[in-house]
Amino acid sequence: MPSADLFLQYIVAGMMLGALYTVMALGITFIYSIMKMINWSMGEFYMIGSYLQYIFVIYVLGVKYWYLGVLVSAVSVFILGCILEPVVIRPMFGGFVERRTEYATVVTIALMLALRSAAYVLGGPYQRNPQTNLPRLTLGELTIPGERAVAFAGAIIAIALFYGFLRFTWFGLALRAAAQNRVAIQTAGVNIRRLDQLAFGIGVALAGVAGALLAPVFLVYPTNGAITTMKGFEIIIIAGLGSIPGALLGGLILGLVEALCSVLLSPGFQHAYGFLLVLALLLVRPYGLFGEREREV
Amino acid sequence: MKFLRVLAALLLIALAAGCAGRQGAASPTTAPQATPIPTATTVSMAATSTATAAPTAAPSPTTASKPAPSGEPVRIGVLTPLSPPGDAAAGQLIVRGAELGVKYVNEVMGGVLDGRPIEIVVEDDQGTPEQGVAGYRRLVDEKRVVAVVGQFHSAVNLAVNEIAKDVGVPVFSTQASAKDITAKHYPIAFRTHLIDPIRVEGWLDFIQQQGYTRVALVAEDTDYGIGLIEETKRQIKERGLQVELREFVVDRRSTDLTPQLLQVRDFKPDLVINVAVGQLAYLMVQQAYDIGLFPDTPMLASYDFPVRPEFWKNLGEKGNGLYFIAYYHPRQSLTPIGEWFVKAYEQAYNEPPVYSALSAFGGIVVLAQALNQAGKADPQALIAALENGTFESWYGKVTFPRAEGPYWHQATPSLLILHYTEPQQDWRQAEVVYEYQPSR
Repeated sequence: MPSADLFLQYIVAGMMLGALYTVMALGITFIYSIMKMINWSMGEFYMIGSYLQYIFVIYVLGVKYWYLGVLVSAVSVFILGCILEPVVIRPMFGGFVERRTEYATVVTIALMLALRSAAYVLGGPYQRNPQTNLPRLTLGELTIPGERAVAFAGAIIAIALFYGFLRFTWFGLALRAAAQNRVAIQTAGVNIRRLDQLAFGIGVALAGVAGALLAPVFLVYPTNGAITTMKGFEIIIIAGLGSIPGALLGGLILGLVEALCSVLLSPGFQHAYGFLLVLALLLVRPYGLFGEREREV
Repeated sequence: MKFLRVLAALLLIALAAGCAGRQGAASPTTAPQATPIPTATTVSMAATSTATAAPTAAPSPTTASKPAPSGEPVRIGVLTPLSPPGDAAAGQLIVRGAELGVKYVNEVMGGVLDGRPIEIVVEDDQGTPEQGVAGYRRLVDEKRVVAVVGQFHSAVNLAVNEIAKDVGVPVFSTQASAKDITAKHYPIAFRTHLIDPIRVEGWLDFIQQQGYTRVALVAEDTDYGIGLIEETKRQIKERGLQVELREFVVDRRSTDLTPQLLQVRDFKPDLVINVAVGQLAYLMVQQAYDIGLFPDTPMLASYDFPVRPEFWKNLGEKGNGLYFIAYYHPRQSLTPIGEWFVKAYEQAYNEPPVYSALSAFGGIVVLAQALNQAGKADPQALIAALENGTFESWYGKVTFPRAEGPYWHQATPSLLILHYTEPQQDWRQAEVVYEYQPSR
């Protein structure tokens, strides 16, 4: 039986990672809510966020101002998303009547491959690490790396800002309306295409934030977004697609399940526990914890 | 609901694809700076020197220069990972070494077989067995190579050998260490790299030397990692060592090793052996530092990734105190051939050479000598010459006898354990704490 300290350490580590996975899941589920398509290139925007953090910290800002790098990376990824959406996604939505979401989803797979290949060409297959000046935190027997504590805090702030934006701004209101009914919001005179662009930008910016925050923890390399993206998808299956509160809870559940199973069973199958949870949940609640039954005719 | 099911199915497929990708697990290496290399390239170095006949053994680089080779070139294949999921960095180093091998053979040795030049044909195996097999077939059927060097991933090398044993063109393992590569005793299987039993022998000697009794072995879930766990357990038992070994297996795709490392810390070992490759190896050092495990508890890395230029950039002071296995050290005495290579490499790339390039270079030079001994560019004659001859390589004389077990067709370089004693230390200045000279 593991010691109480070890147990506590696992819980803390699991919750911290869960919060960061939640940021990814929020990005995925948000884009889906508005655009009704799955963005398979989220991991690559995570990767871009981490590379930008590395570049800003090492070549522009210095280690002392690493936190500014997170902000600049997030904004840069947002702008990149806003540029890419009309260029590669929107053409798939040619008509208002026929929305070829399947095509758009396939395009995001192509985008994933293109961005990943570009990273290999531009940066090579090497690992990089934007350093921070954060000390290790010690609370009794509990040791928490400074980078992880800050990444956790950053994730909470990003989630709060995202929630505040949706809840208290006009754009947030419009986006929530678009999530409910895309046709209705157009009848109210709102430019849905601009909203799509904004939603895509915000969604990928969330991935960029996660990438920038986790860059000093998990290193920077062309495929570093793969695991985090997979966790994001696991969370939205657990939570139910399109549910933002569900994504918050799903992240914590996934983090805790992986942590507890690692300590009580074997840490060697850490990733398998999440999948087992997903499979079990699909059997019991195929629409997720917070999802709703749907019918298509 | 239907959508979520589809999504779950896609995730499971992705997981399965990830597992499949893991079979190409690496034997470790070092990384050069990025130099894009075409998938299939023919490289032929022009000879520049002049003199008399081609030798049957590698001459000292200081001897008289040879005439410029002419005639139909003899082709040697370089089958190595140059793109993901293979270790492309290793492949690039291997190609560098092979290119300098061609330069040495053509310029210093005067070519092979009475003055014919050699050239290499490069194929990317992508670190996957299927691409490795396809690449081998292309090299043999289309490019008519007489031998293939450059194998890095054990899983790829094992798959290629299964085809090569029927085709008959020899395959040189440049840096794949699984013992089955040579233990199957295929006539075409040759190796110029360490095998895992020797790696384990080396670190068990080191453990004894340091007086460690509790050892945690943290290994990735690949043929490399699992093979080393099994071999370590076997040798501890065989040697009757009083060492309590506990193994921790980690998913190769993991980015967070904290759960495993917390358990390692709870075990309170005297030494942690880091048996991971690529970014996982870095993550293990960093995350062990972050939870207060390393450097309070020493860590030994199972291969020479700390000699890579990016090591200190990635880890900063967190890398200080690390022990690591290496196969070459600049203070090691080299043959004149090895010294020629070091100078040529530094001149070409403005950085010190690392083992992957040396091993590939050695393979080409040995093959050239064997071709001269065979007297013709025929794979079967080449195999016979390799089995019966003695050849000069970068660290000494090498042979490829039909020996027992994994020592079949095996030429083994030395194994060193180096120790970083201060942050940002040049690996060439690292403390040499252990040196293993193989007896076979």
